[in-house]
Amino acid sequence: MTGAGEPTVIEVAGLTRRFGRFTAVDHVDFSVRRGEIFGYLGANGAGKSTTIRMLCGLLAPTEGDAVVAGFRVSTEPERIKRRIGYMSQRFSLYPDLRVRHNLEFFGGAYGLWGRHLAGRIDEVLARVGLQDLDDSVTHALPGGIRQRVALAAAILHQPDIVFLDEPTAGVDPVARRNFWSLIRTLSEAGTTIFVTTHYMDEAEYCNRVGLMVAGRLAALDTPAALKARHVPGRVWMIRGPSLGRPEARQRLAALPGAIQVQTMGAGLRLRLSADSPVDADTIRRALATVVDQPVEVEADEATLEDVFLAVVDADAWRRGTAIARGEGPP
Amino acid sequence: MTDRRAALWTLLVQLRAVFIKEVRETSQDRRVVFLLTVAPFIQLLVFGFAINLDVDHVPTVVVDLDGSPEGREMVQAMLADGTLAATSPASSVQEAEAMLEHGDAAVAIVVPPGFARDLARGEPTEMQVLLDGTDPSRSGVASGAVSRYLGERGLDLARQRLAAATGGERRLPSVEVRPRLLFNPRLSSAIYMVPGIAGMLLLIITTLITAMGLAREQEVGTLEQVRVTPLPTPVLMVGKVSPFILVGLIDVTLAIAAGATVFDVPIRGSMALFYALTAAFLLNTVGMGLFISTISQTQQQAFIGAFMLILPGLLLSGTLTPIHAMPGWLQPITLLNPLRYFLEGVRAVLLEGARLDDVAFQLGMLSLYGVAILVAASIRFRKTVA
Ligand SMILES: Nc1ncnc2c1ncn2[C@@H]1O[C@H](COP(=O)(O)OP(=O)(O)OP(=O)(O)O)[C@@H](O)[C@H]1O
Ligand SMILES: [Mg+2]
Repeated sequence: MTGAGEPTVIEVAGLTRRFGRFTAVDHVDFSVRRGEIFGYLGANGAGKSTTIRMLCGLLAPTEGDAVVAGFRVSTEPERIKRRIGYMSQRFSLYPDLRVRHNLEFFGGAYGLWGRHLAGRIDEVLARVGLQDLDDSVTHALPGGIRQRVALAAAILHQPDIVFLDEPTAGVDPVARRNFWSLIRTLSEAGTTIFVTTHYMDEAEYCNRVGLMVAGRLAALDTPAALKARHVPGRVWMIRGPSLGRPEARQRLAALPGAIQVQTMGAGLRLRLSADSPVDADTIRRALATVVDQPVEVEADEATLEDVFLAVVDADAWRRGTAIARGEGPP
Repeated sequence: MTDRRAALWTLLVQLRAVFIKEVRETSQDRRVVFLLTVAPFIQLLVFGFAINLDVDHVPTVVVDLDGSPEGREMVQAMLADGTLAATSPASSVQEAEAMLEHGDAAVAIVVPPGFARDLARGEPTEMQVLLDGTDPSRSGVASGAVSRYLGERGLDLARQRLAAATGGERRLPSVEVRPRLLFNPRLSSAIYMVPGIAGMLLLIITTLITAMGLAREQEVGTLEQVRVTPLPTPVLMVGKVSPFILVGLIDVTLAIAAGATVFDVPIRGSMALFYALTAAFLLNTVGMGLFISTISQTQQQAFIGAFMLILPGLLLSGTLTPIHAMPGWLQPITLLNPLRYFLEGVRAVLLEGARLDDVAFQLGMLSLYGVAILVAASIRFRKTVA
């Protein structure tokens, strides 16, 4: 589900949180529609967890407000709790308890009991594909499995919205992919997903992505629209020996319309503005005198990582705190 | 079902969930299970026997270098009251010293050669007593016993001599030395100790486990997950502490039962009153545990915090040192200590058969303090998590 045409379930207006004089979340505005997968991207300390904790009613906003599942976080945090599920950034199940016992406890905390609870537990375990593991002691499970148990615990009470704070941090790629397919299934069933992540490739799975930089929401749109807006133009991937020389980098950066040159493994990645006349041949010629053998040049695609770096740079530029990176803002 | 009843039912479901979870989690930790079940009895027995402050049967080696009937009679008389108990005799002072050194004896009594002769001649004679000073309280008691006896004996001899010289019974002005133990006047019996040990067990177990339990949830991160559920804070707290209150009550019951069978502790008053005092006291220990956990970030901090409270709590309660034997400025401080009221109340009920009127003050103070600390802990808890 993309959420288009669906009612709004999270409405955030001027949401701000200060810790002493430090502003962790700074006047953030956005809204999320029912069934959307809403991604929240940002560096360490950008304010992702602080935002989520305010939306879950765990932390009171200093300023501004948000309406979650129809209730205000500032005045009705207790009513929000029944309607949402939350997976905190730290693993937060009881490590010494068996999987089923953990789920029994959290179900009980939501007021579920008896046969209904037992049925719900079987259901969520089946949903996350762990029906055989309900007797395992939680801390003995591998990270990826534990995250699935945590997800099961977060959806036991059939919440309208699920908040996932870096659910795949430190999990291997296969387990990450499995986890994301679970998230998609949930969203298709109409559950709204609010998820933060460090992994740019994961953000591609989201219907919309918000980029947080130092407490502010610096950009928000679909992944395609973010790329078109913040990293327009083309991207070339250049491979070959001796590209590690500084001159190779310098030549590429000097091409007309060059925005960014990145080292990618043994190769270089060149990002150009939309109006740049540079093509594959131009690149080959520019490098001809500094490398020993002909290089391989092929068209590449912009990623959300490009978007992220472009947005961070632009933000730093605006604040007049640009760090000398050898690359200007777009 | 009405809304009210549905809400109440939900609370019960939540409470039960927390209770069961707490029991399951605790039973996973063998050390805690040990702390709750076996350790109390080891403590009870060790304290009961080891803090037996009656000093008697001090092993005593006798070196009789005189071999006279007078010497033997003197030694027999000294051993008569049981404070000193004879070990195998030694033939020389050196041998006796070696026995003292090896710990085979704590006292050596040396009857010098010519003891009977000197006595008969009315000449001053010396009886040597060697004491092992490593245990000052024991050596103190032993030397007291010896000198008390010798003093009396000397007086007797003087009286006899005087009578013989003047041909009649005469009263001698006499000074009686009656030692009074200042710091342990009644503590010497296990009977008096058992209620103290019960209070100590409750204090340590429930304060420590409550403090560490909540701190662990904070440290592991489960508290955050719990707080996003609609589980109300008071239900969480009650659910978390009630298993340990139950364990505390069971431990105390067993401690009193063991005290009654092993140490003959009398149970003169009503058990209902005893449990009322215990429950009121537990409000305090659990409240303190919760309070400590709200000012700690980690289990380690909670552990240290709990001990900082438990230690003075024990020392200033009257468990080990009677309150009236403490320095004057320290005595009023004990009025702040719930353990003091628990001890006073329980001792009165068990040993003196006190009734409700007699211990109403103690029960009242315990309830007052208990509610106050619980309220303070809840307020702090709300603040730390907001
Ligand atoms: N309770 C708190 N007291 C003081 N400062 C805090 C508190 N919680 C968060 N902060 C600060 O607020 C900033 C934002 O923290 P937050 O946890 O929201 O970042 P994040 O985007 O989730 O980062 P990460 O990727 O590391 O999880 C950080 O600088 C953090 O140190
Ligand atoms: Mg975070």
